[in-house]
Amino acid sequence: MSAYEPKIIVMVCNWCTYTAADLAGTSRLAYPANVRLVRLMCTGMIDVKYILKAFLDGADGVFIGGCHPGDCHYLNGNLKARKRVAGVRKIVEQFGFEPERLRLQWIGASEGPEFQKNMAEFVEAVKTLGPSPARDAVVL
Amino acid sequence: MTFAVLKTDGNPQAAIRSLLGSLLSAKLVDAVLVASRTPYSALPMPTLCSDATRLEAADPLAPVAPFNAARQAASLLRHDTGRRVAAVLRPCELRALVELAKLHQCALENSLLIGIDCLGRMENSVYLETLKETPDLTTAFYQSDGYRDRVTAACRACTAFQPAAADLAIRVLGHDPAEDIGLEALTEKGRRLVSAIGVASAQPPENREAASAAALEWRRQGREALLRNAADQTGSLTKLQKYFATCLNCYNCRVACPVCYCRECVFGTDVFAHPPEVLLRRAAKRGVVKLPTDTTMFHLTRMAHMSHACVACGHCTSVCPSHIPVADVFIKVASETQALYSYEPGRDVNEPIPLLVFEEESKEKAR
Repeated sequence: MSAYEPKIIVMVCNWCTYTAADLAGTSRLAYPANVRLVRLMCTGMIDVKYILKAFLDGADGVFIGGCHPGDCHYLNGNLKARKRVAGVRKIVEQFGFEPERLRLQWIGASEGPEFQKNMAEFVEAVKTLGPSPARDAVVL
Repeated sequence: MTFAVLKTDGNPQAAIRSLLGSLLSAKLVDAVLVASRTPYSALPMPTLCSDATRLEAADPLAPVAPFNAARQAASLLRHDTGRRVAAVLRPCELRALVELAKLHQCALENSLLIGIDCLGRMENSVYLETLKETPDLTTAFYQSDGYRDRVTAACRACTAFQPAAADLAIRVLGHDPAEDIGLEALTEKGRRLVSAIGVASAQPPENREAASAAALEWRRQGREALLRNAADQTGSLTKLQKYFATCLNCYNCRVACPVCYCRECVFGTDVFAHPPEVLLRRAAKRGVVKLPTDTTMFHLTRMAHMSHACVACGHCTSVCPSHIPVADVFIKVASETQALYSYEPGRDVNEPIPLLVFEEESKEKAR
């Protein structure tokens, strides 16, 4: 039996957090291999479906990384994401998903170490939570 | 004039017909959208009437509503025709219409919104059955609490049964509709129109507040029970799926939903019309998958898309062919979402939709 290793979907915006992830990579800052990175042009284009789909397909955690408020390449995409993520978190927690499985964090383009730290922290937090309720459930 | 008493002489429908008729004859409005019986069934349907002499079947107080008529009202008010339309709507229909106006699906400038005190609607079949025992159901329904257990679950849990965003309100609480009903002007537009047709001003009945409070208390308890019960039945992913286990993916709930306004829903697009490779891959991954797929995904997505605007009309439950109490879980989720955003759908057409307001400082935490 292998130990539980969480699957983490990380949705990052092209301009800030993806660049930070890239910087972490070029700086040789290792972060856990549990992370599956999905690059989007902006966190503001994250439809609630993307998050729900990840959870229903068995992701143990979903991390969304965007630009700091005021830094969005498209002015307010990150603020849109914040509104939506708060709503989705409220919904999934009513059906047994711990709210901590969904995290939104602002990580700027220059914050490579910050990206590494956040990934390590989030993976650790989701490990503590244990496997997602969707892992063993038959999802209709 | 803000309040008037309309004598009914045992026939509240006639009093309402005469009120609507005088709006039409005085050319204060060009047409009236109102629930009326058709020649072929006792079930009232939304009808559009522009002739004061053709209101003979109008019965907006009948405790039944085959649709949330906000849809019909919005299609009439889709753009400015230069003509004035009065719409007699239930409070949940008014709330949905206000949400549709915020979503730019209609404009309310040329409308006259007439709300009614609503003590609930029965399912169509229950209404038609009850009508066989009680031919004068529209009056009897408001004379006692005897019929309140026959209205839908959503109505028994509805605490917003008095019209808010309306120009005029037809009042039955505190009245005996066999004798009289009330007419209250809630806006300047409403007051102007009522003065124009010359209705004498009067005091609201003394027991109106007590009757409202009693109705509210009974429904508040119903609402608490509904929320508690929905939480018990859907509190985990497994429970939620058991709740929706007989869902056929027919999407009737989405069609009936007055605030699910997208012309093309993503669930009707190729995004969810999976090619066989995708289905086979899913089967290979999980061993077995149910077809059609994405049932839980559909309901969760709909909650995430519209729960801030859910007006708790209960029509999703009414149309479910599998008799799933869809509205109960949606009302529960909506209460959480609306509390999160401090938002009450349909309260005020000028109140912005929470998902369209972006502040740098926000009370929703980043994580």
